[in-house]
Amino acid sequence: MIGLISYLVFFATVASILAIAVLGLNLQWGNTGLFNGGVVAFFGAGAYGTLILGSPALEGQLGGFELAYPLALTGGMVAAALLAWAVGALTLRLRHDYLAIATFGVAVAFESLMRNAEWLAGGAKGIRGFERPLRAALGDGFLYNLAFLGFVLCLLVAVYLFLERLVGSPFGRLLRAIREDEDAARSLGKRPARVRLVAFVTGSAIMGLAGGLYASFYAFVSPQDILPVLTFQIWAMLIVGGAGNNRGAIMGTLLIWGAWTGSGWALSRFAPIEAQLYTGSIQFVMIGAVIVGMLLWRPQGLFPERLVVSQSGRSN
Amino acid sequence: MPVTTKTRAGLTLGLALGLGALAPAAVAQDCTTKIGAVLPTSVDWGRPIAEVAQFAVDQVNEAGGAAGCKIEMVLRDTQVDPKVGVDAAKALVDLEGVKLLLGAVSSGVSMPILTSVTVPAGVPQFSCCSSSTAFTKLAEEGKTNGLWFRTFATTAVQSAVAAKVARDKGYKTVAVLYKNDDWGQDMARLIAADFAAVGVEVVANVAINDAQPSYRAEVTEALAAQPEALYLALYPVEGTSAVREWISLGGTQNMIVANSLKSDEFRDNVGLQYLGNTLGTDTASPRSDSADAFRTRYVERFGSEPNGPGLANSYDATMIALLAMEAAGPDASGADIAAAVPRVTDPAGTRVSADAAGFAAAKEVLAGGGTVMYDGGTGNVRFDANGDVSAPAVVWSFAEGGIDEVEYLSLDDVNGFIASLR
Repeated sequence: MIGLISYLVFFATVASILAIAVLGLNLQWGNTGLFNGGVVAFFGAGAYGTLILGSPALEGQLGGFELAYPLALTGGMVAAALLAWAVGALTLRLRHDYLAIATFGVAVAFESLMRNAEWLAGGAKGIRGFERPLRAALGDGFLYNLAFLGFVLCLLVAVYLFLERLVGSPFGRLLRAIREDEDAARSLGKRPARVRLVAFVTGSAIMGLAGGLYASFYAFVSPQDILPVLTFQIWAMLIVGGAGNNRGAIMGTLLIWGAWTGSGWALSRFAPIEAQLYTGSIQFVMIGAVIVGMLLWRPQGLFPERLVVSQSGRSN
Repeated sequence: MPVTTKTRAGLTLGLALGLGALAPAAVAQDCTTKIGAVLPTSVDWGRPIAEVAQFAVDQVNEAGGAAGCKIEMVLRDTQVDPKVGVDAAKALVDLEGVKLLLGAVSSGVSMPILTSVTVPAGVPQFSCCSSSTAFTKLAEEGKTNGLWFRTFATTAVQSAVAAKVARDKGYKTVAVLYKNDDWGQDMARLIAADFAAVGVEVVANVAINDAQPSYRAEVTEALAAQPEALYLALYPVEGTSAVREWISLGGTQNMIVANSLKSDEFRDNVGLQYLGNTLGTDTASPRSDSADAFRTRYVERFGSEPNGPGLANSYDATMIALLAMEAAGPDASGADIAAAVPRVTDPAGTRVSADAAGFAAAKEVLAGGGTVMYDGGTGNVRFDANGDVSAPAVVWSFAEGGIDEVEYLSLDDVNGFIASLR
């Protein structure tokens, strides 16, 4: 029983961290219509930023600042925001597929940079030795994981509330207006380019926060963590959960990450001995089937976007 | 005297006890101990690694199981994705209650498993193939609690032996093509240092990324300096592609390769006619009959030589883990199992071979309070304080039927040579 609870706490922590990243993507795609194909670059910037600022010194690479954890986490978010600002300034005039390809290219370039620049981020060795916050006080076991889960859930709730307020506010209406009809918005005196950049940078900063939490939870980051598959996973979580709906983003994360890990567990437990060597490949088939099945059953997502009519057209 | 019911009952009981005493020692246990394995089974080169680990488990069960119970290996896929691998490891430790974990293959997956699952839970982790020097540093910093072991020939030994080969062959200039991951980057760095220490100049150091359709640009860069020899720290697929490109562009056939290219696939795809001047490095099997036991049994079972990357290492990791479990006894904790590893890799202990008979022999020795020296598929495996393997080395070359041994360096030779370089 204690084993099950321990595992569920661990699972919930990772799911919540990923949910924060999905919320960031929801702001970019669900609300503003920006197809960010390089989610992993901003996630990775947050992860690496947090660990570079928070880890003890490692020979031959940048680091050793050993900043307090909140500062390191914020530093990671700032790194992600700066990267997003640079990428956004250059590419946000592109639309849809072109933006997707450009941001994907940025993500691949970022991973290449992290893999090759040993002086910056340790290259393929990654950044190790991060001392998780409050480890001395709480030890290393179940109690620590429980406390860390509590911390991540607080941040998840904070991000969720922030985004819900944002979406319901005039700024949120502006985002939707730009998503639906940019020319109309411009004709009303709004500046779509600037608004898009703000949304892109904010969403990326949230992804950076998720990345920082991810890296500090595992106390390690390497280029293996920032491969394109993560972008795909975050996107699948958002689409299945419901683009444009923050609750959908969180539910989608739980569903997809649950399917991802649950399929592995179920196959190792129930598949016949002869098939055990192939469970890895079968797992991919099962995950794909879940995603396709969800989209066939509910293409708008688990929780579709709730469109709000701010002013009814009826005459008074 | 009349045979009363009591006498008959007594005789029957005596007969039953007598027959019971004659029963063989290795009676089927009615308990099962689970061990965990997190390996990349969804990748084609990962599946044989998992298969050979299961092979080791089967042999141990044939010899009557370990620590009084049959062993069941619960296998989970990592998808070469750290978060998937860590989750799988956590499920194995928490839900299946495994007391030891085999895995993973990629250092990027093994490290987060080590820091967030196995060290906090006190479960020993045995990796066949994680190559990053970061593990050595982490162990030196005291963060592995003696729970980390890897049966992977450390890059330091391979690079030192390669330097010896280059010096003995009289090469003055060498170009290096290395795999662009943690292992390859470490190799490139150590090769540059060790070659310089023996007076060989590294004229080009080129990174090879996985799964590129062509390596012409990289090979051209390496060829530009017209080196006398080529050093390769690559895996078979990329190695084949790069070497073909190299030879077709007129590069020298003097090559030194790491143990990752000790594969039939590489030899067949490049062609034996181009590999006449190729020498490779690896950790060695000791010069004894028992060293062949692993190869013989493997060929019996799978019908091919165990020449792929990581196979012998994975086998040894599993066997040593189970030997340690046997030595630690029933109901041992993870830390006890880790502490028992020196008892099964003791140079002064009784030699046991790498098969079911060897495991059975080890059980008897350990039950008597003695220690065991395991003669593994990768050699006389011994772990240092950081969980790194130190073993004799061998220089090998390709041959028609497989691999020929060219030179054997005992552990003392290897250590002596490394000391002379630093």
